[in-house]
Amino acid sequence: MTREWNDLAQGRSRRLARAAGFAQARQVRAEDAVALLEAVIEPGDRVCLEGNNQKQADFLAQCLAQADPQRLHDLHMVQSVLSLPAHLDVFERGIARRLDFSFSGPQATRLAGLVAENRIEIGAIHTYLELFGRYFVDLTPRVALVTAQAADRDGNLYTGPNTEDTPVIVEATAFRSGIVIAQVNEIVERLPRVDIPAGWVDFVIAAPRPNHIEPLFTRDPAQISEIQVLMAMLAIKGIYAEYGVDRLNHGIGFDTAAIELLLPTYAESLGLKGKICRHWALNPHPALIPAIESGFVQSVHSFGSELGMERYVAARSDVFFTGADGSMRSNRALSQTAGLYACDLFIGSTLQIDLQGNSSTATRDRIAGFGGAPNMGSDARGRRHASAAWLKAGAEAARPGEMPRGRKLVVQMVETFREHMAPAFVDRLDAWELAERAKLPLPPVMIYGDDVSHVLTEEGIANLLLCRTAEEREQAIRGVAGYTAVGLQRDRRMVENLRDRGVIRRPDDLGIRTRDASRDLLAARTVKDLVRWSGGLYDPPKRFRHW
Amino acid sequence: MKPPHAKATAAEPSAVNAVHDSSTRSFYEADARARIAGLLDRASFREFVGPCRRMASPHLTPLDQPGAFDDGVVVGEGLLRGRRVLIAAQQGAFLGGGVGEVHGAKLTGLLERAVTERPAAVLLLLDTGGVRLHEANAGLIAISEILRATLAARAAGVAVLALIGSGNGAFGGMGIVARCCSAVLMSEEGRLSLSGPEVIETVRGVEEFDARDRALVWRVTGGKHRFLLGEANLLVADRIDAFADAVLAALDGLHESGDSLVALEREQTRLSQRIADYGDCRDGLEIWRRQGIAEPERLPLLDTAEFLAAAATRGTPCN
Repeated sequence: MTREWNDLAQGRSRRLARAAGFAQARQVRAEDAVALLEAVIEPGDRVCLEGNNQKQADFLAQCLAQADPQRLHDLHMVQSVLSLPAHLDVFERGIARRLDFSFSGPQATRLAGLVAENRIEIGAIHTYLELFGRYFVDLTPRVALVTAQAADRDGNLYTGPNTEDTPVIVEATAFRSGIVIAQVNEIVERLPRVDIPAGWVDFVIAAPRPNHIEPLFTRDPAQISEIQVLMAMLAIKGIYAEYGVDRLNHGIGFDTAAIELLLPTYAESLGLKGKICRHWALNPHPALIPAIESGFVQSVHSFGSELGMERYVAARSDVFFTGADGSMRSNRALSQTAGLYACDLFIGSTLQIDLQGNSSTATRDRIAGFGGAPNMGSDARGRRHASAAWLKAGAEAARPGEMPRGRKLVVQMVETFREHMAPAFVDRLDAWELAERAKLPLPPVMIYGDDVSHVLTEEGIANLLLCRTAEEREQAIRGVAGYTAVGLQRDRRMVENLRDRGVIRRPDDLGIRTRDASRDLLAARTVKDLVRWSGGLYDPPKRFRHW
Repeated sequence: MKPPHAKATAAEPSAVNAVHDSSTRSFYEADARARIAGLLDRASFREFVGPCRRMASPHLTPLDQPGAFDDGVVVGEGLLRGRRVLIAAQQGAFLGGGVGEVHGAKLTGLLERAVTERPAAVLLLLDTGGVRLHEANAGLIAISEILRATLAARAAGVAVLALIGSGNGAFGGMGIVARCCSAVLMSEEGRLSLSGPEVIETVRGVEEFDARDRALVWRVTGGKHRFLLGEANLLVADRIDAFADAVLAALDGLHESGDSLVALEREQTRLSQRIADYGDCRDGLEIWRRQGIAEPERLPLLDTAEFLAAAATRGTPCN
């Protein structure tokens, strides 16, 4: 018996035939959306629901959750982010069973509960790049439910500034005989630009409400503490200036926002303009506006956009990646690649760090996942091109007799105590306990200790590249862990010795006086200051408008 | 447009050393003691019942709540540009500036002292959500005592000024105290109202008031709106010295003679007219439009000087 070699294509034809009644020239009415999903999807299908860090195919997510579990069941969901209640409703209602994902943010607690009740079978928790990679290997979606700003009558899609994951999902699905369904905010005669060609899209639905977008990267400068200002001064003088960090990525948070806001003031006063922080893989952080306006920043490529930054970004096309229509084009897969291979430094915060420098944001009853941090925060061993910062870090880490190579700078920046006086330094990560409870194959470590080059706290900087033994490494970490139990158990002599060798550097050692760490150094102290810096182009979401 | 803090970009090392002069720095960012230090003439402040006396609240320990040696309020006397004033500043970071028994007694005592000492003014630097809920009735009684003492000081001819430019603003019972003062001086960052936005949302629902819509919160309770409604007599920029200037301007324009019946009746008529004019408005924006201000949408973003220029064009009613 000879095999037909087009089972996938036949499956596609079968599905399209069932859906024929709902569509007119690819367009499906919103009230038929649930029926369309029930017609197109088959039990056991692998379905990608576009849930990004920011924009969400929220209407399609709700429709899928409303489907009849008699007709749709045992689905295998593959999606980068679970952030809406509907993303978990499909499991609770028995429509989906298996899940491969990357990040769960606001649903982390509920996800852990459903896993404990055996309502969800987790395939694996990925980084974004890993999951995107698997879309093209063994997790290719049969049906992809995506979202775009607008479609035209032919079915071309305009994703707007928040393109994010859409190109990767659609490419994987459309070129392996899958079906692509897009919800759009509006259908227009003429798109500003085409982000996804019509030939890759099967159905378009004008959603009753615009898709939800979360302003995830906005930090109100009013909430930056003077300890965070001090830590930002340490980062700039002790790391950025030291290595000449010119290409970088910042994690989300007030710690890194403080660095961004000190560039036009403190970093400028150190004569660092034009020498550091010119090229970024970064979402359009509002906190970066003063640095851009002061001429610090030459280019920014973004994973996604940020609510309220649209007009500013469009007006700064020298800096941001924009289309001919003027609006930004983001792309998570490509920006992640840029962060991994083209940046010399990643700096970010975390919840817990252990004595080896492993860090984790997992707590015992939350399955938060990874997102992009493990890729941003890892030494890319496949990198070959050199830069000054990369070579210097590599030289510091070099052991006698080894082949010389470069190193990425991976900085973990934490206050020794987090809110509610929880210590950031611990003997054992909560990730161990979570792994046992959720039956994960490994503790979910966000950044492995051997990838971390520096640990930065208000007590100083520990340069782990210079540590020669595991014991030195442990003492270097204890030596900046302040009054936490881990910090108090330091070997004082050894820590002083590490300080003499420059492995540990205190603010004093860097010529930074802690009393100079004033909020007055922030280039913007309020969101309104950011609006002023932008010349009125930044239009912050109303929850951030304290005026 | 000029970057807001161009000052801090001067060359090294002065940029780092140039901690702003204490009187020109932000009133909003300063804490109670820094506000007093910035307002008063150098070294002129003398504190009453200071932290060394450890007059902390007796009600917090049983609740396992940490106390403060000054119970969250600093009171004392000093010179403001040479004029002798009594001054109180609430510590907003301590229990939201809530008024408890000791806190309230310090304020009442200060105001009562004004009757005998006759200073140029009593300055109340408010940073409070009102009654400290932990102390319940003691806090409520304290508010009524503060109100009585405020009116007594005014009746004795001493001006009592409320300065509102802080993170907590002046809400609850202290919102009432503010409106019983001779004059209210605000920055746009300051807020003045009775029930807080979150309380309204909790009690009446998000349809009544969306407390997460911070821009709306400011359009309804913020300094600019209070100025346009005539409740704040002066609107100043968020600098400590701007508040000091405003105190002098307010004192020079005030003649505290106790509210006569005529004045009270005039005020009653004004408030009745205000309800008739604006009672159906849902947002400060609608009121500003009815006042005849051109492009009211732009008001929130204007600097204080630009705003005052724009506000000067309004037709009435009110004020």
